[in-house]
Amino acid sequence: MEYLMLFISAIFINNIVLVQYLGTCPFMGTSKSTDVAIGMGAAVIFVMLMAVAFTWPLQHYVLTPYGIGYLQTIVFILVIASLVQFVELFLKKVIPPLHASLGLFLPLITTNCAVMGVAIMVQRGEYPFFKALLFSLATGLGFLIALVIISSIRERLDISPVPAVFRGIPVALITAGVMSLVFLAFQGMAA
Amino acid sequence: MREIINMIVVLSLICAASGTLLVNLKQATKARIEQQVLLNVQGPTLMAVLKGCDNDPIADRKKVGDVTLFPARKDGKLSGVALEAFAAGYSGDIGVIVGFDVNEDKLIGIGVTTQTETPGVGTRIMQQGFLKQFRGHSLDGLDLSSRGGDIDSVSGATYSSTGAVDAVRKALETYRRIKPQIATLWAS
Amino acid sequence: MPSVIKEFTKGLWDELPPFRVVLGLCPTLAVTSTAENGLGMGAAVLFVLTLSNAIISALRKIIPGKVRIACFIVIAASLVVAVELLMQAYTYSLYQRLGIFVPLIVVNCIILGRAEAFASRNGVIPSIADGLGMGLGFTMSLTFLGALRETLGNGTVFGIPVPWEAFRPAHLMVMAPGAFICLGLILAGMNAFNRHMSRRKGEIPTEPKNAACASCAACNLCATARKEN
Repeated sequence: MEYLMLFISAIFINNIVLVQYLGTCPFMGTSKSTDVAIGMGAAVIFVMLMAVAFTWPLQHYVLTPYGIGYLQTIVFILVIASLVQFVELFLKKVIPPLHASLGLFLPLITTNCAVMGVAIMVQRGEYPFFKALLFSLATGLGFLIALVIISSIRERLDISPVPAVFRGIPVALITAGVMSLVFLAFQGMAA
Repeated sequence: MREIINMIVVLSLICAASGTLLVNLKQATKARIEQQVLLNVQGPTLMAVLKGCDNDPIADRKKVGDVTLFPARKDGKLSGVALEAFAAGYSGDIGVIVGFDVNEDKLIGIGVTTQTETPGVGTRIMQQGFLKQFRGHSLDGLDLSSRGGDIDSVSGATYSSTGAVDAVRKALETYRRIKPQIATLWAS
Repeated sequence: MPSVIKEFTKGLWDELPPFRVVLGLCPTLAVTSTAENGLGMGAAVLFVLTLSNAIISALRKIIPGKVRIACFIVIAASLVVAVELLMQAYTYSLYQRLGIFVPLIVVNCIILGRAEAFASRNGVIPSIADGLGMGLGFTMSLTFLGALRETLGNGTVFGIPVPWEAFRPAHLMVMAPGAFICLGLILAGMNAFNRHMSRRKGEIPTEPKNAACASCAACNLCATARKEN
């Protein structure tokens, strides 16, 4: 029950983009078409899981025991950056079709604060390993859902008579605001 | 080959330089950060527990072994000490600050500093209804009523209450252990 | 010397982040619930950006091209850790309020973007000017957005109540939806202003350029990395 609640809360109640404001750059940048949005979302879920799977043991078996917790930021970003590189090379060699669909988005993820954010959040919340993995999976799913919803709205907006000054990012931001309002209603579930 | 060596050398030099800088900066800011954390995290709870004292318990703190003690003075005389202890709750550790009256050998009161309990259920251990049971309690017989003591657990939050009581009992043991030294610590 | 001034001032208006060049949206949206938080975040970014620009431009000749991104990341991350330590030591309550967004400065596109687009190609002094200008622009924007949201959502600016009795603040504006809507309206306002200016100059109004990914330097960075592979 606790895990189900965590899962639902990470997807809807504490949606990473719309409630916690993480990963808004790719949220605005890659939401012009639904195909791109699905690819990006899938790549984020994948890298997020990998990042937590690698940084969690590192924090618990290296950083904390040796009292160098203050180096967390520098260690995590290096791990995530090299992980992204490695995953890209691996996919290219081993699963070329997956690389063809996800590969384009992988380099963008290094500077995606959602990935780094989740890696830090599970440490600050002191989650045990499997709870941390579940949390990162759910958070990634939340990102995918938000991205797919806004990209389908933006596809419609492209052919709608939007005032010229609002075209592009401004109207996308306001749409995101309205979506965020909707997601805010999920908070009633937790109370 | 030369290029690869060059790459490795430059990257290691940059890492070494940043490492040296950060280790030194950490050393330089360590005392201040400790002070700030005490002030902002433990501070509010500490002041609530030791209210009425006329000194600055954080500035006057002293360490005995690995325990940090916060003294409270009234009219220039040492009246109490507070210390922090932790025990496992329902999810994660619960930290409590326990204040002891050194003259009458009893508890002044307790306050919760850190907890990650379930909101609305386990977090009720932070409410006065639970906390006030510890106020003025003697050093003996402090335990949950289910274990033969006189502290009633918060209904529906047995694990959280047990965690809080365990933490208080730990603080109590520490207090008993270091009590002989307390009078000499702030002798001046 | 004039060029140094130009590098400095472009960050204040022409390439003002995040309003003109849509960069670093996460902290922009997240910490601007009050003017004070916006100012604090902006100052932290200003510090990291100026120093990282200075160090990277000083080392630009000895950093090998193939590992430059790794070097940039190490330098930026070390500076962010330094800021974290300093903030914990001197402004602990601000550090607590900004929370997770302090370590996340390291993945802010502005830092890596300026490193790649400017500091790795220019001398130390212009790079410092660029970092100061961009950082100051970012600080001003964040403080402005923070003040706006604090006024609308809480009825205060820097914690001081606005002197208007009849005003009823809408708490929504300090929550997530308010952040998105405020930023959207500001960007639209900037577009309207630009169209007005170019019309007065007799030019044909151009399409708004602030499409996020096209101007996001970090994406360009990935694109160049891709070409090299």
